[in-house]
Amino acid sequence: MELYDEIQVIAERYPVRRSAVLPALRAAQERHGWLPPEAIREVAEALELTPAYCLAVASFYDMFHLEPVGRHLIEVCTNVSCALRGAEQTLQAFERELDVRAGGTTPDGEVTLRTVECFGGCSWGPVAAIDHRYREPVKPGDVAGILEELIASPALAPEEGDRRGS
Amino acid sequence: MATPELVTLVIDGREVSVPKGTGVVETALHAGVEIPVFCYEPRLGPPLGACRMCLVEVEGLPKLQAACTLTAQDGMVVRTAATSAVAADGQNGVLEFILLNHPLDCPDCDKGGECPLQDLTFRYGPGTTRMTFPKRTFDKPIPLSPLIALDRERCILCYRCTRFSEQVAEDGQLVARERGASSFITTFESDPYRAHFTGNVIELCPVGALTSTVYRFRARPWEIQNVPTVCGLCPAGCNLWATTREGKVARILGRNHPELDGGWLCDKGRFAYDHLRADDRIREPIRRVRRRGFEPASLAEALDAAEEGLRAAGDSVVVAFSGGETVEQAEALACLVRRGLGSDAAILPDDLDSSLDAYRAPLSAIAEAGICLVVGDEPVVERAPIVDLWLRAARRAGAEIVTIHPAGSIPVPPGSAAAVCEALRAETPPEELRELARKLREAGRVALVWSQDDPTGGRHLAALAAAIQLGGTATVGAYYLPRTPNGRGVAAAWRTAGEGGGSEPPAEGELGALIVCGDEAARDPRVLDLAERARFVLVSSMFMTEVTGQAHLVLPGTSYLERDGTTVNLEGRAQRQRRAVQPPAGFDELEFFTRLAERFGVDVPAPRHTAASERAALPPPGAPEPLEAPPAERLAPPSGGFALARYHPLFSGAAVERIPQLQF
Amino acid sequence: MGRRTLLFEDADQADLTKLAEYERVGGYRSLRKALRMTPAAVIDELIASNLRGRGGAGFPMGRKASFLPKPEQSSKPSYLVVNADESEPGTCKDREILLRIPHQLLEGVLIASYAIQAETAFVYIRGEYLTEFEVLQAALEEATSRGLVGGNILGSGYSVSVVLHRGAGAYICGEETGLLESLEGRRGQPRTKPPFPAIAGLYASPTLINNVETIATVPRILAMGGERYAELGVENSAGTRLFSLSGNVARPGNYELELGTTLRELVYEIGGGVPDGRSLKAVIPGGSSVPVLSAAELDTPLDFDSMARAGSMLGSGAVIVIDDRCCMVQLGLRVAQFYQHESCGKCTPCREGVRWLVSILRRIEAGDATQGELDLLLNVCDRILGKCLCPLGDAAAMPVASYVAKFRDEYQRHIDGRGCPFRGSSSLEGVLAPVDQHHAHLRAGIEVPV
Ligand SMILES: Cc1cc2nc3c(=O)[nH]c(=O)nc-3n(C[C@H](O)[C@H](O)[C@H](O)COP(=O)(O)O)c2cc1C
Ligand code: SF4
Ligand code: FES
Repeated sequence: MELYDEIQVIAERYPVRRSAVLPALRAAQERHGWLPPEAIREVAEALELTPAYCLAVASFYDMFHLEPVGRHLIEVCTNVSCALRGAEQTLQAFERELDVRAGGTTPDGEVTLRTVECFGGCSWGPVAAIDHRYREPVKPGDVAGILEELIASPALAPEEGDRRGS
Repeated sequence: MATPELVTLVIDGREVSVPKGTGVVETALHAGVEIPVFCYEPRLGPPLGACRMCLVEVEGLPKLQAACTLTAQDGMVVRTAATSAVAADGQNGVLEFILLNHPLDCPDCDKGGECPLQDLTFRYGPGTTRMTFPKRTFDKPIPLSPLIALDRERCILCYRCTRFSEQVAEDGQLVARERGASSFITTFESDPYRAHFTGNVIELCPVGALTSTVYRFRARPWEIQNVPTVCGLCPAGCNLWATTREGKVARILGRNHPELDGGWLCDKGRFAYDHLRADDRIREPIRRVRRRGFEPASLAEALDAAEEGLRAAGDSVVVAFSGGETVEQAEALACLVRRGLGSDAAILPDDLDSSLDAYRAPLSAIAEAGICLVVGDEPVVERAPIVDLWLRAARRAGAEIVTIHPAGSIPVPPGSAAAVCEALRAETPPEELRELARKLREAGRVALVWSQDDPTGGRHLAALAAAIQLGGTATVGAYYLPRTPNGRGVAAAWRTAGEGGGSEPPAEGELGALIVCGDEAARDPRVLDLAERARFVLVSSMFMTEVTGQAHLVLPGTSYLERDGTTVNLEGRAQRQRRAVQPPAGFDELEFFTRLAERFGVDVPAPRHTAASERAALPPPGAPEPLEAPPAERLAPPSGGFALARYHPLFSGAAVERIPQLQF
Repeated sequence: MGRRTLLFEDADQADLTKLAEYERVGGYRSLRKALRMTPAAVIDELIASNLRGRGGAGFPMGRKASFLPKPEQSSKPSYLVVNADESEPGTCKDREILLRIPHQLLEGVLIASYAIQAETAFVYIRGEYLTEFEVLQAALEEATSRGLVGGNILGSGYSVSVVLHRGAGAYICGEETGLLESLEGRRGQPRTKPPFPAIAGLYASPTLINNVETIATVPRILAMGGERYAELGVENSAGTRLFSLSGNVARPGNYELELGTTLRELVYEIGGGVPDGRSLKAVIPGGSSVPVLSAAELDTPLDFDSMARAGSMLGSGAVIVIDDRCCMVQLGLRVAQFYQHESCGKCTPCREGVRWLVSILRRIEAGDATQGELDLLLNVCDRILGKCLCPLGDAAAMPVASYVAKFRDEYQRHIDGRGCPFRGSSSLEGVLAPVDQHHAHLRAGIEVPV
């Protein structure tokens, strides 16, 4: 299904079409891997809103990527509960193994590593989300295994152009 | 109307009674107490309560309250910063927070001297800074469009500009991006902010974050004068301030007329003023001299030449009006032609039609309509932009807006407006209009708008209005949007100067003289044809055109900003235009034609403004001609082929062509 | 007092994500019962239960439901909105409900919707909760296919649809009006109140908003009767509540306790106390936005009134245990950074004030601050408190002010010693707020120094 049609289906669920902006942006991001300007334009067109409006909304939320990200996403919670249980060491282990600083993407474009605010896994921390699936707790010793598994798994974000037009 | 219920409350110890529903900020003002605000601007919709500058203490409530979000309640006791230490500390705190990131570059800022933030800082602000960390910095200023510059460092995130874009103009282009302390104002992908009403954000901005690129650094507030006048670029006639400095117009600002413009201006009205100083402006009379071409002339020489040319013409004279003239200007010229020269032939741009007068209402009434019907092929925003904002306001308030044109909510072939009106008042309207016809009769509050050239439009609209009992069981009104700013006033002036409406110009044969008044007339192809047949051609215009090339005498035309007089807008409202700056040659059309009329023994009536405005405001009701109902089959929805609907876009015309920033 | 399983009754014995098993333990019986009552009688039952909201503010649920205009008094439809945005640091209780007893939540949704005669119910789930969303969606599909959701449910003549709506990463969307804005497809910036959601909420229509746990409790109340539920717990704090125990504690996890159980019992008897031979320094009793309690205040009962008397709040029920390795300046900085990151940017005191707090705390932690800046810190807190559009500003200022009030000597030592006395050993060392996830500000040439 084209993104445009997918968004129409989403919009049907709501009494007011504008409510579909968040799910529509998510659908666009799933296709593009991030939200390049043309993705925002597509969403705007499908919902009869302006691109500026959709950008304003997208930029408000942490889960929308307005810059390219890696094909896999690793997010480490560094809020108080996780921090008290060693999130710093877990984060450092990821940085070491990936050879990339938090906020960065590996040079091959495979993995983006970033820190996030409280994930809601406080009692089981430190929490990391690997392609949006929580792992808890993640100790420094678990990191190498997680990464091995990850590289073998299908990419979160398709190659540029992969699913578009299909 | 019943007198509104009053509530009585106490603000800073002063008892005050106001109608129920009045905001506390307004109530305080009524009691002589000023509550400072930044984000509060009732014209932008419901209060936001964002900036927190208006914090006050309210007896019985534990926390300080944002006064802008409160409405006056009976028995309420409010203490502002003037009488409450807690409120004062809250307010000082907010001001300090605002100033944390503000560059305080008032000496370089265009807003300096008329800046609410500067004023408040001066009055309440902390003397010293307690801040020990670097301010937020941005690249600055950046062009938001060729007309508007944005300085994000000065922005205090009051969201006035973005609310205007989203909730008033509904262009959806100016937005806030990111969140929290990283938020900033932007358009999409650095696209220019391009829409019909963008300039209003400059006026709304309470600091110097949004400034006019045209006005920037042109003048400081203490060197300027503000002249209250009326826009002369479209039939709405929005009220404005012309800011002048050293005899030149430096800026145009809105001058809120709540019934007419709500304080908004379109970008043409706001930014086109620089055409007064265009290089190719005609600044003095020019006379054609045999074999030598054109030569400058003095006022006296011009009068002589005009008299000579017209005397030779006898009564074979045609006058072409532009519809932008003041009533007085038109009257002087009409007296000259009709009484002095004995001719009745004229080209009037917008025919006078009084049949709609029974359904007259201020534009603001549109916002109260339950249903608005717009017929005609031209976009309202191009014909009378401000009407578009009223229609949007109506829609936001819940009205249904029905547009009937080739791309409207009910699509019809071009040129069907009259047929639609007829069909709607028919006993059994065609299928596709039946539902609408029922709604119009049942809605109770109806606005009818006609948006295209058609001298019969007013009568068709009036007939429809009568059929749906407008003015009887239904309220609100009917609006015919003329093409020209004062066509109606001009036509009234023409009528009063002679007997009846006069005659059409002869279709063929030689003419003794042609008088072309104004740039719009000078561009009219019909006028060019007449000029080719005339022995003597007198043109008064601001700029050269094909017709001026054929002229024997060219007068320096004036702009609406250079004259005094009366205009009648599309509501039928007579308004006073005031001279903001002197005309380039020192005289205007009114003076010229009055003096010329004297030479033909005609006294142009005076005192002008008041007398003429009364006459123009209440034009003699001519008996409406019978309507010819167009055949019903023309109402079929447009079939596959294209039908071209032509109209004058808003951003066109002599004035706009001379402002490069308006052409992007 | 102490542990008392009510919400999670049977959840250990059966897989309650399956409709059949949920029905086997009596699931959806409360719904059937409610559908036989009048909507007003259901609300009366909720009022009688004294159930107070579990999302943070603790407003009595039944009363809130009774504020909505009755369908015949309003031209607009009513909506139920379930707040599943759970983002208050330390809180992970709603997640357990979503994962383990989704049908109980749905049953609560249907009963509450019926009580206010809602046409549509929305569940706003934080975007990060992907698995949780999938579990709830599966439950919803199962329930729909069995006629429990949709048109004419269980032949009662009452129809309601349930829409699951995922957020996209913004703490402020847990605040009810921010949530409504977000659900309407806007930036999640809170609205001024009044109007309250009960009068003009979603799409400017009457709206009841409740937390996941509040709604999931509703079927239990209908099953046992409001008055019996009210007997649980203590005065003004009826029933049981889920507490998320986290931080430096031996057995972290979600525990369902009768309200009025002491903090000490939760931390020591249930949670096994502070491990690794460390000692307890402080406890945050209700999520990172509430004032801290010191070790000396551990006997405070976990109920609304007792917490208020102790100068703190039950908040979201997140109990964070902090041992003696933690530097309280770092804690203040980390908490303030969170709220700076999450401030929506609408009102001035929160947007600018919280950023100022962060910068002062940074200077104190680095040993650069002067004595005056400690007072400045408190003064800035004071100028944020109670001045903002929504409670988020307070959520930053309250805890920071409480850290200084209760651990002033530690702040003083940073100033006197020109540096952090815990350097290299604090459990929060080096844990920074997220690098800003969006880089647009860089492209726009903005620098937001903190
Ligand atoms: C900044 C902020 C964040 C909040 N986050 C949540 C949240 O994640 N979940 C929640 O249920 N309530 C949250 N609340 C409380 C809600 O505003 C609202 O009071 C609650 O959802 C009402 O439900 P209840 O009465 O059942 O508790 C938050 C409040 C504030 C001020
Ligand atoms: S640019 Fe001006 S009007 Fe717009 S948010 Fe900033 S301060 Fe307000
Ligand atoms: S003026 Fe009241 S909050 Fe801005």
